Amino acid sequence: MKQRSPQVVARRLASLVAIVAVLVVAVVIPNYLNGYSLYILTEVAIYAIACLGLTVVIGWSGQVALAQAGFFGLGAYGTAYLDSHGISWFVAALITAILAAVIGMLIGLPAARLRGFYLAIATLAFGDLMGQVFNEWTSVTGGPAGLPVDLVSIGSLGETRSLWYMSAAFLAVSVAVLWHVSRTRWGRCLRAVRNIEIATGSLGLSATKYKVEAFAVSAFLGSIAGALFGQALTFITPSSFSVTLVIEFLIVVLVGGVDRIAGAIVGAGFLVIIQEALQSTGAYQRLVFGLSLLVIVRFLPSGVMSLVYSLGRQALAVMARPAAVDEEIEPTVKVAS
Amino acid sequence: MGEDAVLSCRGLDVAFGGNNVLRAIDFEAGPGFTGLIGPNGAGKTTLFNVITGYVRPAAGEVHLNGVPLIGKAPAAIAAMGVARTFQTPKLIPDMTVLENVMLGMDGHRRLRDWRSILSTPGSERTARVQALDVLTEFGLHRFANEPVSALPLGSQKLVEVVRALLSRPKLLLLDEPAAGVSAGDVTRMTNPLRRWTTESDLCLVIIEHDLELVSELCSSVTVLDFGRVLATDSPDVVTRHPDVITAYLGASFAAERG
Repeated sequence: MKQRSPQVVARRLASLVAIVAVLVVAVVIPNYLNGYSLYILTEVAIYAIACLGLTVVIGWSGQVALAQAGFFGLGAYGTAYLDSHGISWFVAALITAILAAVIGMLIGLPAARLRGFYLAIATLAFGDLMGQVFNEWTSVTGGPAGLPVDLVSIGSLGETRSLWYMSAAFLAVSVAVLWHVSRTRWGRCLRAVRNIEIATGSLGLSATKYKVEAFAVSAFLGSIAGALFGQALTFITPSSFSVTLVIEFLIVVLVGGVDRIAGAIVGAGFLVIIQEALQSTGAYQRLVFGLSLLVIVRFLPSGVMSLVYSLGRQALAVMARPAAVDEEIEPTVKVAS
Repeated sequence: MGEDAVLSCRGLDVAFGGNNVLRAIDFEAGPGFTGLIGPNGAGKTTLFNVITGYVRPAAGEVHLNGVPLIGKAPAAIAAMGVARTFQTPKLIPDMTVLENVMLGMDGHRRLRDWRSILSTPGSERTARVQALDVLTEFGLHRFANEPVSALPLGSQKLVEVVRALLSRPKLLLLDEPAAGVSAGDVTRMTNPLRRWTTESDLCLVIIEHDLELVSELCSSVTVLDFGRVLATDSPDVVTRHPDVITAYLGASFAAERG
């Protein structure tokens, strides 16, 4: 077990360097960006957190769940409300996210019995229901007029930088936890449930349990992202959490790659940056999203990250070729005799 | 048999629509290999489906070491130590061989999920080493990191057997493990399986059409035909039983045996 192949060593080294580099950049980048650019980057991080939830529930557990905009809104409203009632923002965001996870489980229970199209409709209806609540429960949400958000500032960082660090830190933690989870038991079982639900029983795995847990994790991440989004908007209205948002989330995961952690980040970058770049062009923005989705679905159905990973694997294979010759010559389709 | 039976089925009746698939089946299996043979449609796989909780019988009982199984969910029965394979392997195509076989342990590792998420990767590493050990026994370790869909059917069947063994079952049900598998792969499967049955008191029921293999492995063979038990005896006796010869083996086999 101790001797590792050159590919593994190269991959680990590359990952370590990349992780350290990304963290260093995340810490120092506010010094090099103006407020507007930092805000855009923050938005990318927030979308990425929400869409990591979709990576778990859609990508891993295979459930087409369209409720994320609802949890996103719940996080924004719930945190803003609790925060304005004297609870610290961080505690408020945590309480709301736990509430969202519980609601996610409650939705997940019946949803575990629904499939494909029916599940999509049912979860879409939940998002719509949440929209109604934001509109009608005026005493808590301020109704259509909206709800102002108290902005958080950590130390002397100022609000914009605080929000960047909060978003980037939570994104980093989510990525680390999900990456670990994807390689261990829970992630394996989720993917098993997606693929061979009929046989999971014979493995002692309850499909319902894993599907419900995926919903809970997804709702938790959606709610935290929503809490951060509230900070970014400074003033939240029900229209911020409409069906359009569901479509935006879907663009993120489809472009990036729905079952890959990095896919949520790359997809979020694509969405937010295109949105900002084409803001002045109005309807053309939609056209670009439509066309890019067509191109992606046609040529890269597993998302941009699938291309990056396959190129990376090929590069590593080339780099490590001299030492790995033996393994490569042997056929991979026959069992050793 | 009797007292040392790990698995005991009594009076099982199963009907799909008006069709009686199993009729008053009595079946027992103790440590070692027990064969289950019979023509296609005799109800062999249905019997496995009843034992593992996928099909609920209209009447009858199934006990594992004296504990009743009927009415329990498949996952609960698996957790009690019943593992199985399928005629067509049910593996996860986009996972590696190692990940696929580790799923066998995942349903049974007594760690709770949240502990396994929060714990250091130590328990995961131990599990991986155990999985690699068993893959090595079956000559599959070199494909541990290959996607399982890249392996031929015979090797996939081996992978499914390893996955089942890694759940440390008391009872292992193998559904036609040798069908479509090369002679080399069959030996690669049966040698370690023999070891497992002697070393861990594993009780192994095997549905198989290859009678040479069944005779070689099993101390007791049950023949099913049209949902009924035709005979239960040692392989030698069963293959000479006149009803069995006409129902299953056919005239050519009868002539061959004289």
